[in-house]
Amino acid sequence: MLRDIIKKEILDNITSPKFVFTFLLCTILILLSVYTGVANFRAEQKEHTASLALNKKNMESQPTYASLAGIGVKVSKPPQVLGTVVTGIEEAVGRVAPVNIAADPNLIDSKYSSNPVFAVFGALDLMFIVKIVLSLFAILFTYDAIVGEKEKGTLKLALSNDVPRDRLILGKAIGGYISLLLPLLIPLILSLLILLITPDISLGGEDWARLLLIFLMFFLYLSVFFSLGLFVSARTTRSSTSFLVLLFVWVVFVMVIPKVAVITAGQIRPIPSVHEVTAQKDAFLQQIQAEGQKGFGDWAQKNQELAKTDVKAYQEKLRQFIQDYQQELTNRIDENNAALERDYQQKKRAQQSLAVNLSRVSPASALTFGSMTLARTGIDDFDRFLASVRAYKPIYTKWINSKLGESINFQSTEQVKIKIDDMPQHIYEPQWLSRSFVRTIPDFALLTVMIIVFFVGAYISFLRYDVR
Amino acid sequence: MLEAIDLTKRYEDGELALDGLTFKVEPGEIFCMFGANGAGKTTTINLFLNFIPATSGTALIESIDVAKDPLKAKRHVSFVSENVMLYGNFTAIQNLDYFSRLAGKRHLVKKDFAEVLERVGLQKEAFDRRIKNFSKGMRQKLGIAIALVKNAPNVLLDEPTSGLDPQSGREFLEILVQMRDQGKSVFMSTHDIFRAKLIADRIGFMRKGRLVMMKTAAELAHEDLTDLYIQYMEQQPGAAAVPQAGM
Ligand SMILES: Nc1ncnc2c1ncn2[C@@H]1O[C@H](COP(=O)(O)OP(=O)(O)O)[C@@H](O)[C@H]1O
Ligand SMILES: [Mg+2]
Repeated sequence: MLRDIIKKEILDNITSPKFVFTFLLCTILILLSVYTGVANFRAEQKEHTASLALNKKNMESQPTYASLAGIGVKVSKPPQVLGTVVTGIEEAVGRVAPVNIAADPNLIDSKYSSNPVFAVFGALDLMFIVKIVLSLFAILFTYDAIVGEKEKGTLKLALSNDVPRDRLILGKAIGGYISLLLPLLIPLILSLLILLITPDISLGGEDWARLLLIFLMFFLYLSVFFSLGLFVSARTTRSSTSFLVLLFVWVVFVMVIPKVAVITAGQIRPIPSVHEVTAQKDAFLQQIQAEGQKGFGDWAQKNQELAKTDVKAYQEKLRQFIQDYQQELTNRIDENNAALERDYQQKKRAQQSLAVNLSRVSPASALTFGSMTLARTGIDDFDRFLASVRAYKPIYTKWINSKLGESINFQSTEQVKIKIDDMPQHIYEPQWLSRSFVRTIPDFALLTVMIIVFFVGAYISFLRYDVR
Repeated sequence: MLEAIDLTKRYEDGELALDGLTFKVEPGEIFCMFGANGAGKTTTINLFLNFIPATSGTALIESIDVAKDPLKAKRHVSFVSENVMLYGNFTAIQNLDYFSRLAGKRHLVKKDFAEVLERVGLQKEAFDRRIKNFSKGMRQKLGIAIALVKNAPNVLLDEPTSGLDPQSGREFLEILVQMRDQGKSVFMSTHDIFRAKLIADRIGFMRKGRLVMMKTAAELAHEDLTDLYIQYMEQQPGAAAVPQAGM
């Protein structure tokens, strides 16, 4: 009997006009999003390698270490292959961080800053399609699951037989879910094929595991709206009411809660603006520069005698002094910046995690944060990258300072030829799978709990449902 | 056999829809229940199908208390509802197929369904058409076919003739007579006095949830049913001063 109910439910769904419409739209949107994701990734990858090469060439062509120190070094985050399905915040924050003696490294050159129109519409990635469009389809497939049968009179007719109600709702749920998955599976499989056959894109074993987890999260997310739809359709007496209620809940989940969470977190845990922090850093920099000039003046005065008596010894001492003093000052700048930054980051992280946790009431937020973490395109991963750049900065400045010191030559105006082979390289190790997974456990748990709550709600409501 | 014993239903809003209703439909008998809109006919049928709980009293199908063992009781009853839309995306045959499976008749094939549909008078071209654009009468025929396929010993029909054209109405009466001849207990709520008189073995009048008159066909042979109906609906001993009853 269960099989008959499931079969009927699937047949009823796939013969309805909404199925054809859903199927077409799903196919177009999913393929389009994966196609643009792949195209973006390839472009980013090209840009990444090109900028690495250009950066190297640029540095090599510098005449002196002083000018090399002036341009600094640009570190760029390699694009993530799973950005093809979950773009994350990649386009919003940029992937390049310049490192030089003076300034504190930060991410620059985001796609949004180069073309703000992107910021208005956001990325059309697979996650967005799932979050907005497919969740609406889940509602479209369920809003009249129960109440519609009541309106058609088929519920009465079915229950005039010895059909247990739990069997009926189970059959309807399973059949309905299968018919929702049908229009998704074919385009999803096609898009996996696209990922497989595109040259330039190679998914490692871990990437597959991540992709699988992302897809699992997509299905859980859609199941939340599916069971929600069942629940509401078992609590209403008219399908139009059911649809309106579901639409309202959808708007609250997808649109309202994430925004309100961010605003609320900003109110509860305010942080200084980036400009304030930058201003503080700049003020300290100026202070150090003034101090440096004074320190140099003092030194020169103190060593006046030596300059007159033994020029050679004086020059050697001066060179040593500049090298040490420069390093000392840089260290102080770095320490101050690091302290400011630590403080700022701590506040920012507190605000962020409050916003994230507040918004997690909504399955849409759980999906957004969870899938970004799994794709390694989320906030954590950019924080990690930035932290690695900041850790790299003192290593780099030490190197360039020592080079600067060595290169001071009082004997001739001829400069030392620069050599960057021994420059320490920035190393970034992307997040491990196990770490990412642990971070997404709350999201998985939340989605699962919502599914269970809504489904049990639907189940119990249907057992008591007035079929007339 | 269908049996109502002192069946009473008071809705949550206080409306007393059924008030101590007692009757019995024997095997091989057609019982027609008349009553104005809101008299309580549909409520009676809903109680027999356990769609709503009775306030007091019992409904029995084949001597099984429907409130105590609804699933077992429902095995023995076919039901034709007042206005059933059915699955618009399905063809007539597909609808019939699904409901016959629910009724436990899973061995039936397309030929059997076609036979039943022919019996209820649905035109052949419509068998494999989606029923989305079926007229009310065509749907009604399909609903009757669904009840026929279940072939249960008891039949509950809620105003089944509304929407049927005269020809189909006649065919429908023949089906009811065949059911009676097979020994089924048939309970039908209706407004159709003329047709009912042709086939009913017993007739009941219902008013404000009470059975105000019950007579056998023999007793009614020489009476004018319409006059009787109006007479009973207008003035009823015990509830005399009800102005709206006179329309
Ligand atoms: N769900 C309900 N809640 C309250 N009153 C109801 C409900 N369903 C029916 N009634 C009332 O019960 C009475 C009998 O209704 P019903 O059995 O549908 O009459 P009939 O089928 O004979 O036209 C009517 O007065 C109607 O208003
Ligand atoms: Mg009625």
